[in-house]
Amino acid sequence: MTATVETRVGQTRPVVPPTELTIVARGVRVSYGQTVALDGVDLDARPGEVLALLGHSGSGKSTLMKSFTGMAPASADELTVAGRDVLAQHGTRLRELRADVGHVFQHFNLVPNLSAMSNVLTGGLHRAGRYNLIGGFGAEQRREALALLHRVGIGDKARRQARSLSGGEQQRVAIARALMQRPKVILADEPVASLDPRLAGSVLSLLREIALEQQIPVIVSLHVVDLARRHADHVVGLRAGRTVFSGSAADLTDRAAQEIYGEDGEFGA
Amino acid sequence: MPETPTVPRPTITTKDEARLTRSVQVPGVGGLVGVAAVVVIVAWSVSGSDFSIERFVTGMPRMGEFLVRLWPPDFGRFGLIVELLVETLQMAVLGTIIGAVLSLFLSFAAASNISPPWLYASSRFVLNVLRSIPELIFALMFVSAVGLGPFAGILALVLGSIGTIGKIYAEAMESVPSGPLDALTSAGASKRQVIAYGVVPQASPLLVSYTLLLFEGNVRGATILGLVGAGGIGMELTTAMRLYDYGHLLAIILSIIVLVTVIDRISAIIRKKIT
Repeated sequence: MTATVETRVGQTRPVVPPTELTIVARGVRVSYGQTVALDGVDLDARPGEVLALLGHSGSGKSTLMKSFTGMAPASADELTVAGRDVLAQHGTRLRELRADVGHVFQHFNLVPNLSAMSNVLTGGLHRAGRYNLIGGFGAEQRREALALLHRVGIGDKARRQARSLSGGEQQRVAIARALMQRPKVILADEPVASLDPRLAGSVLSLLREIALEQQIPVIVSLHVVDLARRHADHVVGLRAGRTVFSGSAADLTDRAAQEIYGEDGEFGA
Repeated sequence: MPETPTVPRPTITTKDEARLTRSVQVPGVGGLVGVAAVVVIVAWSVSGSDFSIERFVTGMPRMGEFLVRLWPPDFGRFGLIVELLVETLQMAVLGTIIGAVLSLFLSFAAASNISPPWLYASSRFVLNVLRSIPELIFALMFVSAVGLGPFAGILALVLGSIGTIGKIYAEAMESVPSGPLDALTSAGASKRQVIAYGVVPQASPLLVSYTLLLFEGNVRGATILGLVGAGGIGMELTTAMRLYDYGHLLAIILSIIVLVTVIDRISAIIRKKIT
């Protein structure tokens, strides 16, 4: 695949030098009361790459993602997301940071009785401005939303209620909604865990294309080692809140996978 | 690869096994307490309310006489009846719409997933107060405030509607799935936007359905407000009763039955369509 960068309608994005890191996390710690969820995790995310987080449920994948947008009580030696020190953001500033981070969820989290189009439009709410006070979106935003639906391959279903779409289609709407934020990074927490294997592959391929086109990092948490090998550039393996693997997907040997998942061999096919 | 671990199989006692497979299941302690409580409450209510099946049976013939006296209906003043029914309907429409809009705003404050605790508690209190006052009392109050006529009745219906529907709206909003709300919040939407694009759309089929039920109730409610001079057909109804104008009375009652039935049917069809 060639790494051509498509520019979207009406979008101006500062060109990020490929070496600049979008997320720098050093020694991230999160504890809920007595329970330590993360115990000093390091992570780097570069523009244009897909970074897979691997680990059992409860290993801290979701908590790590939450800490990037200030949704988990984190402390860290350094935690920078899109040029902002996460731990120093509050109120409106924190909302601005969150608007820069697109989310994709396991259960899609679309508003079921709004149309696909309206769901995509909600991704742009943070910059909808005063016009939105009376409940509408401008023609420009609508054009952008429709272009994004075309980009994820379901432009023909713009009017359909989200609930009437298949799981794979719903996740595509959710990805378009995340793109509508014009994000500087996309966090996808188990985005394919509710989908059958064939759809899982196509959704992950789409996320990889988007990472390249938009030149943003896409961080994906997965629990199937094989999907990480096939669709990610880098892999960070977590076990009980600690980093146990960090390297390129090619270096993720069976031995390394066993280090992440322990000896019970319950990692997927 | 490590071998498949053997799955532990917890067992239950044979006695428990027999109990679970019996066709007659004995209610548990909670069920028995519930049944006992209902029996006590019913007995207590009978003892205090002069309830008597015997007097009901002996009084039946007199009820028959009353109904015979009503017959036949006299539709001589049908024009007046229609006019008053239309007024009743108009009162119900305005009372429902204004009441529903106000209820919607109050219900945002009374939904625990939207509202801060202090606002939640105070708006729930307001709703409870409104609900505990009968509409006729509101009607009396507004008749003395704005004078006799349908306007006082509309205001009474508005307050009554808020009392009836405000809490139900709030509970519809509370029952909305939170996943989409989290998604909107994490995309940087403000609280107002989360409500407008997450809470209200998800609750809307229920809100519309409840509002139609409220409207049905308000049509029936508006027929009685005339009793205290707050407009609608109620005034004519009570006058006919006081003057022993039975033919006219029955004509009014039959007309009300037709109106209420038609509205209930239409409303039921709409509700079925949207949910």
